[in-house]
Amino acid sequence: MAQTNTAFATTGRSRKGEPFVWLTAAGLTIGVILTLGLLGLVVVKGLEVFWPARLVVLEVEPAEGSGQGTAAGTVAGYVVQERVRRDLAGKTHEEIQVFRGNRELHGEKFVFLDRADIAETRQPGDLLLVERLEGGHVIGRAGALELAGGERLEAGAAGFDERLEQLIEESAGRREELKRIEKDQIGRNAKRVKELNLEAKLAGSDAGVAAELAELREEFERLDGERGEIRERLEADHFVVESADGREIRLAGGELLHVFRPNEAGFLGRLGEMFRRGWTFLSSDPREANTEGGVYPAIFGTVVMTLVMSIFVTPFGVIAAIYLREYAKQGHLVRAVRISVNNLAGVPSIVFGVFGLAFFIYFVGGLVDDTFFPDAEEPVYKSGGILWASLTLALLTVPVVIVATEEALAAVPRGVREAALACGASKWQAIQRVVLPASLPGILTGVILAMARGAGEVAPLMLVGVVKSAPDLPIDGVAPFVHPERQFMHLGFHIYDLGFQSPDSEAAKPMVFATTLLLISIVVVMNLAAIVIRNRLRKKYATSSF
Amino acid sequence: MSPATPPERPSPDPQRFEVSRGTLLLDRAMTQLIRVGGLAVILAVFGIFLFIVKEIIPLFSAAEVEAEEVVRTPGGAPAVLGVDEWGTKPFLYRGGDEVVVVDIRDGAREVLPVPSLEGVEVTAVSYDPVHRRVAVGLADGRVGSFRVNYQTEFDDAGGRRIVAAVEAEPWFEVGVGEGPVKALGYGDGGAERILVAARGNGLAALRLGQKRALIGKPKLTLTGTSDLSGQVSAEVATTVASQNGKAALVATADGKVSYFLVEGGELVLKQVFAPFGDQPPVRMDYLFGGVSVAMTGASGDQKVYSLFRPEGSSERLFGETKEFAGLGEGRPFFAQSLRNKSFLTGAGRQLSVRHLTSGATRWEGELEFEPVAATFDGKTEHFFIAGPQGEVQRFEFDDPHPEAGWRAFFGKVWYEGGSEPVYQWQSTGGSDDFEPKLSLVPLIIGSLKGTFYALLFSVPVALLAAVFSAAFLPHDMKRVVKPAMEIMASLPSVVLGFLAGIWLAPIIEDKVPSILLVCLSLPLSALIFGVVWSRQPRQVRARFEGGREWIVLLPVVLLVSWAAWSLGPVLEKVAFVYRDEASGRAIADFRLWWPQATGLSFDQRNSLVVGFMMGFAVIPVIFTIAEDALSNVPKTLTAAASALGASRWQVVRSIIIPVASPGIFSALMIGFGRAVGETMIVVMATGNTPVTEWNIFSGMRTLSANIAVELPEAAPGSTHYRTLFLGALVLFLLTFFLNSVAEVMRQRLREKNKLV
Repeated sequence: MAQTNTAFATTGRSRKGEPFVWLTAAGLTIGVILTLGLLGLVVVKGLEVFWPARLVVLEVEPAEGSGQGTAAGTVAGYVVQERVRRDLAGKTHEEIQVFRGNRELHGEKFVFLDRADIAETRQPGDLLLVERLEGGHVIGRAGALELAGGERLEAGAAGFDERLEQLIEESAGRREELKRIEKDQIGRNAKRVKELNLEAKLAGSDAGVAAELAELREEFERLDGERGEIRERLEADHFVVESADGREIRLAGGELLHVFRPNEAGFLGRLGEMFRRGWTFLSSDPREANTEGGVYPAIFGTVVMTLVMSIFVTPFGVIAAIYLREYAKQGHLVRAVRISVNNLAGVPSIVFGVFGLAFFIYFVGGLVDDTFFPDAEEPVYKSGGILWASLTLALLTVPVVIVATEEALAAVPRGVREAALACGASKWQAIQRVVLPASLPGILTGVILAMARGAGEVAPLMLVGVVKSAPDLPIDGVAPFVHPERQFMHLGFHIYDLGFQSPDSEAAKPMVFATTLLLISIVVVMNLAAIVIRNRLRKKYATSSF
Repeated sequence: MSPATPPERPSPDPQRFEVSRGTLLLDRAMTQLIRVGGLAVILAVFGIFLFIVKEIIPLFSAAEVEAEEVVRTPGGAPAVLGVDEWGTKPFLYRGGDEVVVVDIRDGAREVLPVPSLEGVEVTAVSYDPVHRRVAVGLADGRVGSFRVNYQTEFDDAGGRRIVAAVEAEPWFEVGVGEGPVKALGYGDGGAERILVAARGNGLAALRLGQKRALIGKPKLTLTGTSDLSGQVSAEVATTVASQNGKAALVATADGKVSYFLVEGGELVLKQVFAPFGDQPPVRMDYLFGGVSVAMTGASGDQKVYSLFRPEGSSERLFGETKEFAGLGEGRPFFAQSLRNKSFLTGAGRQLSVRHLTSGATRWEGELEFEPVAATFDGKTEHFFIAGPQGEVQRFEFDDPHPEAGWRAFFGKVWYEGGSEPVYQWQSTGGSDDFEPKLSLVPLIIGSLKGTFYALLFSVPVALLAAVFSAAFLPHDMKRVVKPAMEIMASLPSVVLGFLAGIWLAPIIEDKVPSILLVCLSLPLSALIFGVVWSRQPRQVRARFEGGREWIVLLPVVLLVSWAAWSLGPVLEKVAFVYRDEASGRAIADFRLWWPQATGLSFDQRNSLVVGFMMGFAVIPVIFTIAEDALSNVPKTLTAAASALGASRWQVVRSIIIPVASPGIFSALMIGFGRAVGETMIVVMATGNTPVTEWNIFSGMRTLSANIAVELPEAAPGSTHYRTLFLGALVLFLLTFFLNSVAEVMRQRLREKNKLV
């Protein structure tokens, strides 16, 4: 449109207002920069979390008049960020924030240092980064292994690394065993005891119940003994780490998760460590008030909730769309309904959350509890849970599916429909065999878009059952295996909770960025899938239209 | 096969055109299923609206009152009517030496003697419903009190019985003045109490203290008497003591009310005011919470005076905060609720229940007899009226949301303790007598404020980008840009909110001048670059024109942004210098300069951060819809304009934008709707303080954030809960309305463009 035909141009086309064209171009440029910048920020910050940074040893000698009041000494750790601080006198200080770990020695895991105070920076190769269960990372040199039988293995001795590796593996196995005993066996035992006690209270105790109770008591004692043994075993071995300032930290073998020497590792070693950290993040449970460990329960909760939501939303959305497009008499009323449905997609999500809380939890949940659980001590369904959250999000996203399905149905050429009818198909047969298959990609696009929207919503979930920590998954090995009333974790809420409710927000930051990256990836991938499907659909109709 | 025998034609199958029963049945079943299912889904979706409305309706309904049978007791009019917490056994005291307890359900009477009153002449009576204490003044100048206590007893069958008992309390000599006690007030603040008594021309305040005894009950002793006779201007008409035992109000015959407060162990006259000119109030009654006093005049006028700090004063004094409708002729009576700021009042046979905060009359009714005393039970579920012939009538009272109403939600309300009527949202407080402040106005302003700043940033970027994309961008680039924008639109807002609060807010906190410079320099530099560019030889221009201008601008924009960003501190040194009053030092810091220059606050998590990040969420929405509208302008129009010699900008300005303007407008409205309802960004990027100012460097609390923060803690069915639903309804209606208008405009535009 904006092309000039130079063959006929004598003076060229009028160029009036050309600067304004550039102004509009700037709008697009800014939009592109902002978009790419935001995505880039999330990707870089998110991947940075997993990339093992080099550990440095800093000799700190505070200069005269530096504001921070850092004590002289040796600090080992990795640099988290740099900043420029202006003090009250207007003087600027270049500062670095260092993660030094070793909470039992320093209290704080992070420290700010003025660059001017740093006398020397070294990168010794033998520095260790030790991950442990509680208390955050430990940074220092390997000291010795104090093993159960009084055996002591100094660092550098032959077989030291192998023995350490073995110790970590053994501990992992023991912890697994401990978890199995505690969760499965003792949990089952306690549940049965509770049931029996209730039975005895209701029906009066009889000999059979008493006998079973005694049996259970015995079993519990045996399990408790096993548990104590494993715990003792976990405490038996110790790994001594020497911190940069020469102090010793004794770590129980059972606490150890992973030991890594970032300064010795080459690029591939660090890459491998990055993948290991990434996998841990995806597959393990959170620790330390969610600031360490992984987000597995949150991923699980998000996926299950989104799937349950789509199970509800797809049939209902499609039926409503078929009704509106194929069965309802097209007129002003249907037009008004269509506009309204369209607009519901624009109603703030929190409104749906409000409705979900009042209707699903207090009203329906209250009815279910009154009918089926009249003597439960705590509300079963009359409190937030994954079922209510899924239903709420289904309501929230049903307009998306209706609109997408309607568009897809409308795009099926009239000729196809008429041909089917002319061949003697009934109306439903025409819809079932011809119209629906043709519009399937469109419907799928709508469902995927709805899922993407549902996966990213947080505000309504805060009202209907999402929690910061839910150790019991909504689907697990305990009968009846599916627990739709359970509260659950969610990636989006995880971000909110870690970023804003965490007691140690500095320590939580890496986890939030990692979770953000994960959530954005999920949403973007879903959207891309929807776009690809839609493009295929368009091509198909471009060739098959009559 | 020989040609002589032509193939036999198949005999026509009579069932060939018959439809199988199964097909028909299935078709019918599916038709029904889809009809019912489709309608059900649509109705269910709209049911949301109805359900929310259903939750709100009780907020606007009046109190419900049901009168029960009148129970008659022999004897005359009672001076005091009191009742137990559960509203079952009212007691009447007629000024003698006995208390009559009536079981309201069967009319059974029980007479409880008050031994300490035997053989004395009672001349003045006052009643404190909180402690169920009757204070009496005697003809011989003594004052004292007794309490009526109720206890629940359970009999063997598990039945509950409420038993009343009288607890005597010591006598005290007034000491000041002569003759019988004619008015008194008793204020019980636990350890510290006050008893005000008027006797002849004398007025005295007795301060009582509760001494903890080693054995047995704590003993009540007189800690001091203040002679206030000289401090009032005329004869005392009526008096009342505050419930914290620290203050007293005395009304005199010349219409003046004196306010005394205990300070340093003495009563000090703080204030004298005249609520009804030269007429003294007939009644003065403290309301629940002990901060406000309802004054009732001789002609039935009713005003409420509350304690607050007037501007420029450091002391809390009484001031008129509410005026209620007149009660009419007759002797006024009064009863306070012990749960909330409601009170029951009236004169003659007229009864009305009023609420202090909202100033509304919750219920009005008429009685069969002329009441002489009234009282509420402990839960404000019943009230009782006593008549001149000893009638007692119980009324069932149901008013779950007295503090709600249009005026409370959308009007300025003069709350207790405030110096003027304000719009305020503060739904929960520390104490039981807290007065919830439920004005939605600060929240609506907060929502509009966040939206305004979001649109301020996003509208220019989104619309400029949409115009460029629709009018100049080559098709292959458009195929990437549009889906990218759609993906941006579906970015979870919790991510944006997190980035705003954790990453952006600390960065721009001390870089405001840089931000200002960037915002100013970017459009300017684009324009200037355009001017310079168009002077270049055609060979250079041709390489990039025709839709690739934005690529040329990429380095320009980055460079200019970087330069402006680095120049920010320089600008700060020149223009935003804070002068410290005390030391006279000058500090170049915008954060300090802004409050000094404008008197407004500067928060780290402010509207600028919200505007920027929420703008991010809105840009793709506006862009997509506006771009659609701009792209769909019929080619015939633009081609005609080009053919007539219009430059490409002239085509855009005079054809494309005007034709697509309804579409652009609807894009803005949908963007507005998205920003108004945005929750997570606001929750995370602002301090969530309700404000009523438009300062860009302060935070806000929006309707949506308010719901997200407060609803999980609100008790279902409470006023607070329902008010949050009202907020949700406001959001629903606002966005639904905006979107509907936008949608209709878009459809009209589409049809108009079809005709061209």
